[in-house]
Amino acid sequence: MANTSHGIGGLTFDPKKRTRPPELNVLAALVLIIVAFEVLGRLFIGDSFLFNTRDNVDTLFNEQRLQIIILQVAIVGIIALGVTQVIITGGIDLSSGSIVGVTAMVTMSFAQVATVNGNPNPKAIFGPEWMDLPVIVPLVVGLACGLFAGLVNGLLIAYTKIPPFIATLGMMVAARGAAKWWSKGNPISFPTESYATIGKGMTPVVIFIVLAVLFHLIMTQTKYGKHCYAIGSNEPAARMSGINVDGHKVLVYTIAGALAALAAVVLSSKNLTAQAGMGVMYELDAIAMAVIGGVSLQGGRGSIIGTCLGALIFGVIISGFTFLKLDAYYQEMVKGVIIVGAVVLDQWRQTKRGRG
Amino acid sequence: MKKTLIAAGIAALMTTTAMAEGIGVSMAKFDDNFLTVLRNGIQAQADAAGLSVQIEDAQDDVAKQLDQINNFIASGVDAIIVNPVDTSATQAMSDAAAAANVPLVYVNRQPVNVDTLPDNQAFVASNESESSRQGFIEQCNQWAAAGKTDVAVYVMQGQLSNQAAVQRTQNYYDVIEAGECKVKVNVIDQQTANWSRDEAQSLMTNWLSTGAAFDGVLANNDEMALGAIQAMKAAGIDMASVIVSGVDATQDALASMQAGELDITVFQNAAAQGGGALDAAVKLAAGEAVDQKVYVPFELVTPANIADYLAKN
Repeated sequence: MANTSHGIGGLTFDPKKRTRPPELNVLAALVLIIVAFEVLGRLFIGDSFLFNTRDNVDTLFNEQRLQIIILQVAIVGIIALGVTQVIITGGIDLSSGSIVGVTAMVTMSFAQVATVNGNPNPKAIFGPEWMDLPVIVPLVVGLACGLFAGLVNGLLIAYTKIPPFIATLGMMVAARGAAKWWSKGNPISFPTESYATIGKGMTPVVIFIVLAVLFHLIMTQTKYGKHCYAIGSNEPAARMSGINVDGHKVLVYTIAGALAALAAVVLSSKNLTAQAGMGVMYELDAIAMAVIGGVSLQGGRGSIIGTCLGALIFGVIISGFTFLKLDAYYQEMVKGVIIVGAVVLDQWRQTKRGRG
Repeated sequence: MKKTLIAAGIAALMTTTAMAEGIGVSMAKFDDNFLTVLRNGIQAQADAAGLSVQIEDAQDDVAKQLDQINNFIASGVDAIIVNPVDTSATQAMSDAAAAANVPLVYVNRQPVNVDTLPDNQAFVASNESESSRQGFIEQCNQWAAAGKTDVAVYVMQGQLSNQAAVQRTQNYYDVIEAGECKVKVNVIDQQTANWSRDEAQSLMTNWLSTGAAFDGVLANNDEMALGAIQAMKAAGIDMASVIVSGVDATQDALASMQAGELDITVFQNAAAQGGGALDAAVKLAAGEAVDQKVYVPFELVTPANIADYLAKN
């Protein structure tokens, strides 16, 4: 099937006639925010946000800051990749933060070392025969957790026809309960050396970028991606044109669950601990990243690139406010304004396009 | 005669059922390291005394906690232990328990009405104004011992809506103002990392990206201190050149101290608080008088005495 004849509702898709991609607006917003911090920094604290002003290192940019901007959003970013696919199909996933919690707990239990500083591991969950396992064991267990939770979400939504909001809300509550139940609320710490490398340094960023590229290709180049957009744009039409809508939904939620599990592995490895409260509110941050990046909650529109830009906006804001030495209160208030503002702008763009 | 017998019978019946109900406990949240140790302290003490306790999770929700207390009262428990979600929302809980004449013990977090508690209510905790104070004074001593006179520090706060975070941060400034710190302390920046290790890692890395020289980090709890340490290690900073202090003496923190990274923490005896709360509740239920404020002291932990604390939390 040629690319040019593949369009929704039988319309011919002509790349030349495409309007400016919405990602460009997000990119413009990102640049604008960075410039704002740069100017404010120079005016009020006499330091540069982006550029290196130190004598001891010889680089143009403040590399440490550039790194943390992306590092601090990489983990939620991984979740946002899955959430983006879910939202594009017209659904929503509220359970990802709780899946992170339960997966981190279960995974870390299989990644513990037997001795800490010569003493037996004080946080041991299982006996010594289940410790010092090769890193593949916790990885597989963790992914299985996420796949299972995602599969349950998908089956509920596709076959009981309950709204995704309700199904994933149920999973959000249940998975958080499971996370607390697993070790009766006790944190689980002291992972093996090999498990600790997964989240070490900039590895979370590398994992995030690799996954982003992979899912960008999947969403733009494969049947899976096209079906996501088709279902989100017009579900009855997608069904009538022979797409296995139910099966596809199960797949989408399962992938989202697996990505949340992967985020949990990276998070627990980066922090060298798993706690039942991990990932609280991550689902909302992930949804916000997607929405800021131009993913429409009505479904059918958005892209992985947009979500990545949305994640970067988040990171820039967090670092920018610390850079300006402003309190966390303002940080949250501005975050709220940006989330709502992004959707308002998106609505305006929609109505304008509708009229034109 | 018949009436008296029936009344006595009913009274006996009621007391026996009431005794069988045991003690209701409402914790602010289950998924918190410290509160879990405290909760286990209550459970252990109850098991030792052969009492049944029913422990509920208020999930950081003030309204849910009040509902739980009312449910405990309705099911006729002998006494209630509350670890308040919000220390300013305790008046309604005291009122509800007082109206039903059920003894109530607050644990760990100081209720706003602590000075006007009815006779059969009490408060068991450690005095927060002592918490970070001990650790910070020790930190000052270590800087002085290292020959420093002027130090630059970062302050990591817990959740801003939490009384302990406010108090622990205030303690630093109180020590500085009272001249109890042997060196001159200059706070470069003060931010919240919401008690969280992950947020503390990001915050510390953001601070490191400013390139400002610093001599130490004051963290409101151990989790944040560990996050700061992980970020500093990732940036290649020699942990011997900075002094980091936390509060709680968690297992993770002690392991980090053994590895020569964390320098100072303060042990808040969670298990003793839990056990103390249960004792107070049992005594109040039996009609005995107890001190209305029971303070379990904080204990300073450094590499010198770490061995005493390895098995405590």
